Amino acid sequence: MPPRPKKFICTFCRNDVKEIDYKNAAVLAQYITYYRSIQSRFHTGVCLKHQRQLSTAVKRARFMGLLPFVRYEK
Amino acid sequence: MKKYEVMAILANDLNEADAAAQAKKSILDRVTELDGKITFEDFWGAKGFAYKIHGEKWGYYFVTQFEIDPNKITELEREWNIDKKLVRFLLTTVTGKLENPVKYSELLENQAASKKEAEIAAVEAKATLTAKRAAVKKETAAPAKTEKTEEKKDSVDRKFDAILDDASLDL
Repeated sequence: MPPRPKKFICTFCRNDVKEIDYKNAAVLAQYITYYRSIQSRFHTGVCLKHQRQLSTAVKRARFMGLLPFVRYEK
Repeated sequence: MKKYEVMAILANDLNEADAAAQAKKSILDRVTELDGKITFEDFWGAKGFAYKIHGEKWGYYFVTQFEIDPNKITELEREWNIDKKLVRFLLTTVTGKLENPVKYSELLENQAASKKEAEIAAVEAKATLTAKRAAVKKETAAPAKTEKTEEKKDSVDRKFDAILDDASLDL
């Protein structure tokens, strides 16, 4: 295994993302869990500023039917 | 004047051209009538929902950005809530950071095209692989079996001959 970098940098910071777009469902889908809840910052490694944007973006995408609320629907 | 963005889902009982016309009529025209200025518009077309909305599985997506006096927004929202052809809409303010909006309709089209290409390529690769395997099987498996049986026959014959040729045996 290659040695892990000393400090993990947020993926959005590294790619110079100024604001996370709720319309880009493919990116947001990477940050939700198996049961379709938002993943915590501990697991995603996203910085606080981007995590806040991410959570609002996921909620907006869910409202517009781009992302599911739950995995198993009745 | 303030910048806003609207994403709307149009009912799926319309066809695609009618849905685009409906979006123009109920969103773009109303904004311009209230002295708004449209800066961006993007019609995604038919798209499936992640979950059922009012019992339906898909709808037409439409995204637009415009500048308008904030006092007139409540009137627009009231009208869109009444409109039966608008299944759902999301009104958000646009900050300066998202100055160049992305045309997701083009992105989605490209994704769909690349997915189809990949599927076709996968099917072709599978066909060639199966053909190759079949050819290899024919080449290797068939002659090996016959050789073995022939060898066995030869050895048995030789043994019999040896027994028959043996002078010490009195038959």
